[in-house]
Amino acid sequence: MSDWTQNLQKTRYVMDTLLLISFMMVSAPQTTGVPLHEWLSLLFVVPFAIHLLLHWDWIKQSLRRFSAKISAKERFSLVWNYLLYVVMLLATVSGFLVSVALLPAMSISFEIQDFWSKIHHDSATLIMPMLGIHLALHWSWIVNLTKRMGKRAPAQ
Amino acid sequence: MKYLQYQWKTRLVVVLLISIGVSILLMGLDVTPWAQQINLRGYSHGADEGEGPNIPSFLLYVLPFVKELILIGIPLLLTLLWLKLTQVIGRAR
Repeated sequence: MSDWTQNLQKTRYVMDTLLLISFMMVSAPQTTGVPLHEWLSLLFVVPFAIHLLLHWDWIKQSLRRFSAKISAKERFSLVWNYLLYVVMLLATVSGFLVSVALLPAMSISFEIQDFWSKIHHDSATLIMPMLGIHLALHWSWIVNLTKRMGKRAPAQ
Repeated sequence: MKYLQYQWKTRLVVVLLISIGVSILLMGLDVTPWAQQINLRGYSHGADEGEGPNIPSFLLYVLPFVKELILIGIPLLLTLLWLKLTQVIGRAR
């Protein structure tokens, strides 16, 4: 496990695990309270950005792959990843627009619209099943990496 | 973290610029008839302050995570089942 920073797949695995844990923390405002939920959401941008950076090659190839001859599963996964990204952005943007703690603490305040409250609640709920499907589409990678993470690196 | 550090500044700027661009587009939903309709009708969810459900307090902290596990786990299992089925049907043909 100690060499995970030297291996791209293992780095992705560790960072994706942190992303999942932080997502679950951020998605429970009833547990954390709204002010902490908002500050954690701001911090959540970091593991989310790391996730995108570690999958840069996929992002670069994705548009080309879409027009290539690929399996239905891969095509679905491509569209699904982009949809998940847009819904994630929608939840984040609407979250800022209904902020009652984070933005007022920065002396930024505006009238909260019911529309954005509804969008924030609905998009945040929608992300969860979308994430479930996203994880299922990469399940074999998750299982393989979980097995590999448990193994010790060969002695040098 | 050598994989993360490789050209990270350029890549991060690209990701941020695209995300800000898409976010600005999403904020345009504000002016749609759909948004105006919801604003006119009003929206609220959950109980008001002091009107929480009558359950043990520790459950109030645990249940949101149970909800997340169900909302993530059931679609995950159903998708795995669907993928397995399509694999089996594909092999049988």
